[in-house]
Amino acid sequence: MWQAAQVGLRSLWRWRRQESELDEEIRFHLAEDVDELVEGGMPPAQARAVARRAFGNVPLIRELTRETWGWGAAERLLQDARSAVRAIRRNPGYAWTVILTLAFGIGLNAAMYGLLSRLFLQAPPHIEDPEGVHRVWLQERFFCTEDGDPAGPTYTREGTDWVDFTALRADTDRLGAVGGYTRPRPMQNGRGQRAEELQVSWVTGELLALLGARPAIGRAIVPADDDAAAEPVAVIGNGYWKRGFGGTREALGATLTFGEVTYTIVGVMPPGFSGPEPNAADVWLPLQIAAADARDNWRDSCAGFSLTTLLRRVPGGTTEAAEAAATHALQAARANSPWQDTGATVVLGPVLRTRGPGRLEGHMRLPLVVAGVAWIVLLIAGANVSNLLMLRVAARRRELAVRHALGAARWVVGRLLVIESLVLATVSGVAALGVAAIAGRVLRSALLPQHQWTGGALDVTAIAFTGVAALVVGLMTAAFPAVYAARARALDRLDGLRGARSLGAPVRTGLIAVQAALSLVLLNGAAVFYGSFDAARKLDVGYAKENLLTVRLGTGWGGTPLAESTIDAMETRVRLLPGVLDVAQTTAAPMTLVKAGLLLRVEAPGELPRTGGPYENFVTENFFRVAGLDIRDGRGFNEGDISGAPRVAVVNTTFARLVWPDRPAVGRCLFVGPDASTCTTVVGVAETALEFGVQDVNRFPHFYLSLEQASHDSELAELLGWDRTLVVRTRGDPGGVVPAALHALAELFPDLPANRVRSLPAVFAPRIRSWTVGTGLFAAAALLALLLAALGLYAVIAFGVRQRELEFGIRRALGARAWDLLRMVMARGLTVTAVGVAAGVVGALSAGGFVAPLLFEGHSPRDPLALTAAALLLLTVAACASLLPARRATRADPRRALQAE
Amino acid sequence: MSPAEHRVDLLYGTLDLLILRTLVYGPAHGHAIAKHVRRVSEDALRIETGSLYPALHKLEGRSWIAAEWKKSDKGKRARYYRLTAAGRKQLALQQSRWEQLSVAMARVLRPADQH
Repeated sequence: MWQAAQVGLRSLWRWRRQESELDEEIRFHLAEDVDELVEGGMPPAQARAVARRAFGNVPLIRELTRETWGWGAAERLLQDARSAVRAIRRNPGYAWTVILTLAFGIGLNAAMYGLLSRLFLQAPPHIEDPEGVHRVWLQERFFCTEDGDPAGPTYTREGTDWVDFTALRADTDRLGAVGGYTRPRPMQNGRGQRAEELQVSWVTGELLALLGARPAIGRAIVPADDDAAAEPVAVIGNGYWKRGFGGTREALGATLTFGEVTYTIVGVMPPGFSGPEPNAADVWLPLQIAAADARDNWRDSCAGFSLTTLLRRVPGGTTEAAEAAATHALQAARANSPWQDTGATVVLGPVLRTRGPGRLEGHMRLPLVVAGVAWIVLLIAGANVSNLLMLRVAARRRELAVRHALGAARWVVGRLLVIESLVLATVSGVAALGVAAIAGRVLRSALLPQHQWTGGALDVTAIAFTGVAALVVGLMTAAFPAVYAARARALDRLDGLRGARSLGAPVRTGLIAVQAALSLVLLNGAAVFYGSFDAARKLDVGYAKENLLTVRLGTGWGGTPLAESTIDAMETRVRLLPGVLDVAQTTAAPMTLVKAGLLLRVEAPGELPRTGGPYENFVTENFFRVAGLDIRDGRGFNEGDISGAPRVAVVNTTFARLVWPDRPAVGRCLFVGPDASTCTTVVGVAETALEFGVQDVNRFPHFYLSLEQASHDSELAELLGWDRTLVVRTRGDPGGVVPAALHALAELFPDLPANRVRSLPAVFAPRIRSWTVGTGLFAAAALLALLLAALGLYAVIAFGVRQRELEFGIRRALGARAWDLLRMVMARGLTVTAVGVAAGVVGALSAGGFVAPLLFEGHSPRDPLALTAAALLLLTVAACASLLPARRATRADPRRALQAE
Repeated sequence: MSPAEHRVDLLYGTLDLLILRTLVYGPAHGHAIAKHVRRVSEDALRIETGSLYPALHKLEGRSWIAAEWKKSDKGKRARYYRLTAAGRKQLALQQSRWEQLSVAMARVLRPADQH
């Protein structure tokens, strides 16, 4: 080491000496020339200028001389790097363009690579021997309905019923260890305004041991904890430990309250641990205690409670053997079940859900599309840099020719270019790390907002990726120019300018066309996503959501019913808030909560569906007006619908269509309640609201009853339930009323958490998030691509015009009109772009299939309007980019061009 | 005919030969070498400075010539190059090669002249 340093220092010293000696030698030569000229009678000032001109390009001579010093490889590399840095510094505009272009391209890809590798490649951290752990998938027919059809289609699902799970868990000898958990979901810890929302995962006692994860402090959840009679304990994640407890040991022994159970924290998991998912939980609870708290019938098949099962193979056992044993155990347990598919089989997949065999979840597709976009950006950046390098080579052909004439081997010139390009790539790589760190964070929250990540966005894989990408891009971008530079020699000398221009021109033009094609794909993507975004944004959900706020007052499961007087007091408080127009009450919550539980009988030819409604809703008389639901037929409720008056109901259009397909709903009877004999007359039909999602399949049958009538009816008052929501119509943006409503809520209902006040635009925004994000990302990438393509085209056309200045000058002199030259130059730019556009259209059409599932329903990724708009935009930009150099061509002056020669 | 048009471009490799040959008359600095060649060739051969110094340093690197700093006639410090023993051998070799080449060239070119 020391020796190497000494050798390095010595050679550095030698090199410095040689440099200064060469400088002195050159100065001496110049001085001699000046002396001679002065002796010949020239004034000294003029003599110095003449000598200088005659001597030639001093920095170049210095550089050429240095190259003959014949050093070792390391010194030559250092020398080359210095020479590259000098060349780059002579042309800072070019260098900045390249560095920024590559930094963006590489940084974006590094960030995406880091993200995708967590989702698709690496097993979650802290899992011991992840190859031995499998995710259990069932291949079966769906049975859990009355009309369960044994001949229905088979599908692959991840969820396991508790009964199936216990059957699998029993056979440890042949299957190996089996553990289960629920995917992290938000739960309230504590009550009132200070309640916090935590991501909670329920685990069976075996799970943490199965993963091989050991807590950083305290102990893990063990099988003895996972028992309904055991003392409730909890294990927390490292992130929450730092956030909630300042990372101190005091966390152990602290308590968390979810639902009706208080859990004592007994352990903290190590940093980075995210359970068996990339999406980390804050808290892990023993499954049997937590599930029993949530609902009584959780053990039943078809209870809608589903567990993800993991299996660790017995040491030395094969996957096939474990799969066969698991299938056997499952079928044995189901042998006599009328509710389940007795022929179901078990398929063992990798621990990462995204690796299948089940379908890729919808929200995992967007990251893949964005990774594709990032790739395209990098390709464009690479093409652009390669192009710029080519132009540099063309512009430096004299220098290169001199180097060749001096006997520099072909590869020396190529090597210089490669090193120059590598120096640029290295600087870009460092800048790319910054881009990756920022982009990583932004992309994580933009693409998977519900995901809680462990570890920084810029991890080792992302950094390694950046390094490799910078190297590869550096070499790739230099490849064309280096080959071109090596070939340029002979032609330069024989053919002068013409050779320099024509050589490499096809490649340059090709690169421009490639950029145009990729830009078109991105522009089209932006247009297509915007189409989806716009349609989804304008989607009529039924409710006048832009001006609505909901305040949920109920206590949910296990609470006590609210006193009507308290609810009315709250309504009065909210009604008086500034910006509030009107307030209605409902027992469901628009776009948040639907309720079904009332026994309902109808005398009708149509059938009520068994799943998906009908949902009941007790509402005040002004509800339809306040919520903005149109009455399509008959009337809404009014002041006359009071206790003692005939019972009335309103149904929605979906209800009416399903139940009375061939006659008007108004005037029909509903029989509501356990032993209802009284007719509740349907007086109106309201439009069907979209409570969930953005797709029409989520429009369900609802029926509305009068809250006024029900609260005074002993039979119906029982059925009102505990939930009550205020629907608030605001004058402007409902978000502005949220703080005041929260304040009122806190005073009257100190136990209710703060998330009960929500503006409907805020509820709706996450549903169209994938299109918002998709549009934003595509638009940003497309803009960048467009800018780069324009820059590349401008540079190439401008260079071409400069080279042909003499020709243009002569044409002008011979009488060509400015318009002719303008057309000539612009035609070239537009032709190249048009070729790119054609290729891009083909690319966009073939990529459409993958994007299609991500678009708003009914929207095609192959939209002729979007493609046309993208093509026109691209051609317009190309026209602008070639217009500037074209104007220069029209001003060509043959005299100046000749002088330059 | 102007001197510029009369000038002959240096062929690849001839520059080395010219430098070595010039140094036979004794040590000289770069400027003097260039001047000597120009004068002796009656201005037909002109060594570009852009080629001269890289060539000198290349020959030095091959140990055909050696350099040292000395005072010039006018008392300024200059880098003087002199021929080494290896350089002398190289000169003999290159000169004989050059002569062979020029004889061969002359043979090829003469018949064309007779037309």
